[in-house]
Amino acid sequence: MAFLKLEGITKYFGQVTAVDHINLSVERGEFLTLLGPSGCGKTTLLRMVAGFEVPNAGTIWLDDDDITHRPASKRPMGMVFQSYALFPHMTAEQNITFGMSIKRLPKDVMQQRCAELLKLVGLSDKGRSYPHQLSGGQQQRIALARALAVEPKVLLLDEPLSALDAKVRVTLRNEIRRIQQQLRMTAIYVTHDQEEALAISDRIAVIAKGKIEQLDYPEEIYSNPRTVFAATFVGTSNHLQGVVTFPAEGICQAEQYTLHIPPMPHLHTGDRVLVIVRPEGVTIQEANETIDSEANSATGNHITGVIELRTFLGPFTRFHVSIDEGKTFTADLPSQQARDYYVAQKVLLSFPPSACQVLPLDAREVEAEHLTEGEKV
Amino acid sequence: MTNRIVLALVILYLLLPLGATLVFGISNGNGIGFSSYQEIFSDHDFSATLLLSFELALASTVLAVVLITPTAYWVQLRLPQARPMMDFLALVPFAVPAIVMGFGLIEVYSGNNTLLSILSLGLVPLLSNPPFNVVNTPQLLVCAYVIVSLPFVYRPIDNSLRAINTKVLTEAAYSLGSGWWRTFLTVVLPNIWPGVISAALLTFSTAMGEFTLAELFGIYTFPIYLNVTGQNNAHKAASLTILSFLLTFLCVLGIIFLLRRRPGGAKQDERLDIVAIK
Repeated sequence: MAFLKLEGITKYFGQVTAVDHINLSVERGEFLTLLGPSGCGKTTLLRMVAGFEVPNAGTIWLDDDDITHRPASKRPMGMVFQSYALFPHMTAEQNITFGMSIKRLPKDVMQQRCAELLKLVGLSDKGRSYPHQLSGGQQQRIALARALAVEPKVLLLDEPLSALDAKVRVTLRNEIRRIQQQLRMTAIYVTHDQEEALAISDRIAVIAKGKIEQLDYPEEIYSNPRTVFAATFVGTSNHLQGVVTFPAEGICQAEQYTLHIPPMPHLHTGDRVLVIVRPEGVTIQEANETIDSEANSATGNHITGVIELRTFLGPFTRFHVSIDEGKTFTADLPSQQARDYYVAQKVLLSFPPSACQVLPLDAREVEAEHLTEGEKV
Repeated sequence: MTNRIVLALVILYLLLPLGATLVFGISNGNGIGFSSYQEIFSDHDFSATLLLSFELALASTVLAVVLITPTAYWVQLRLPQARPMMDFLALVPFAVPAIVMGFGLIEVYSGNNTLLSILSLGLVPLLSNPPFNVVNTPQLLVCAYVIVSLPFVYRPIDNSLRAINTKVLTEAAYSLGSGWWRTFLTVVLPNIWPGVISAALLTFSTAMGEFTLAELFGIYTFPIYLNVTGQNNAHKAASLTILSFLLTFLCVLGIIFLLRRRPGGAKQDERLDIVAIK
């Protein structure tokens, strides 16, 4: 049995289903991230694991123990909050030793462990400081040390970096990962930031409307999304809705474009699909350039358009290219190659079949995709 | 320059009546003397009523704070939907004059109303008859003072609870193994201390100076002694007022000292809070 197992966890708030029959297993020492937009139920799920909410249905197992109805104070969990939640009237040291004093550990043990934890989070000289004398990043490090001080079986982190500025966020997320790996701590991390989730996790559970859309390794979530939501929420992507015309050859028709996609023998002619292309899989050429032999092959995809927006993002430059009736296509080019292209220039966008991820669409998804098309393309 | 003039005028406005009272108290018609103070200190009623008022005020303060602080915390944490009701209850004593409440309490506890007996589940008859008779006793007066001071207790405590992130701090304490009471006493209470002190100070001064209820209940407290003295000896009453002012002033200083000694020190906004109370 998995170290932490959630079985059929459901939570209602009045008429709203916040968490809908979620099954999830977390292995010992694993770093699992719950990723999803605001209101998707990820924090509610974490709060049920912590014991702050009681599920309406389902069971939570920890190390073969049913802890579903155990109060939060009796669960071996450490929690790190978005707002740090340090006790303002206590010094950093007093905050860290608070949990240990409840366990009535000997004073010398508490002091020794406190010193170790302060060293672990790189704040050995801040033990006597009050929270209001520390920066946001330092406060969150102390909060992490405080949560680890009680030697929890599972560390729960509820959007711990959301209140911090961009640079501190990256540094601290690496610190959290380093400490988690060093201590081989089982951790559940909640975030709405897909970049953060991809960078830090062993596995990611993409959550939408109270359900897990996909539970997988970060590379798989990014490269092989299983649902339309997972594809659209994680990373930037271009979407083309089409109908399969030759499944074995990998050809589909998306409005006026005939697209070459990987062969899909399991699909049938007439099936509706969503073709997803990541911006880094698209190349740009001047529209009047002779298409080289490789790009001109029958299996390549080519779309012409006009550059609408050019955004410099450091190592690469992002182009928003208007392709048809207000639709835009996004392409990323290494910044050194991007110098030749400018706004209002007519360009040819190319992408090979291997850059296309294809998801079958059912009627409901066709409608949903149609409704949100503007946001996604 | 203008600011200084305005400041001087404000200080004069505040201190002139006090100065006049002080001078009136120590003048005995023929000159200046402290005979009125000697009279006061040798008057048995002075020490007896002051002590009684002090005891009543202290009991009311302790009861109000002990009742309201955990209740406000509980409402904030678990029953946020009950907050409008608490806000309403905290306003009722402003809307109902003390005299109405006094008559109401006397009527309830001295009558033999069957409907009231049933509605109170037998509590009113129990408290209206020996051996637990509370009619016109200091105990009932303490209960009445707690109700009168409800707005002054609930508001500052509720504001303090809202100012700190009560729910998250509580959850953080729970996740570290702390139970409800330990969380309340060691995490929440130290952080709402300024609000609790404000509440205590306001309740204490309300109870110390309350006249109407004590008069109706026939309990001889310090404000009633002050009133009786004022009718017979105006100089003595003026000196009593000065003594009463000094007592309050010492209380405020004591409170400020208490807050300054808090772990982490009083922060800027808390100091402002104290000034506002003053």
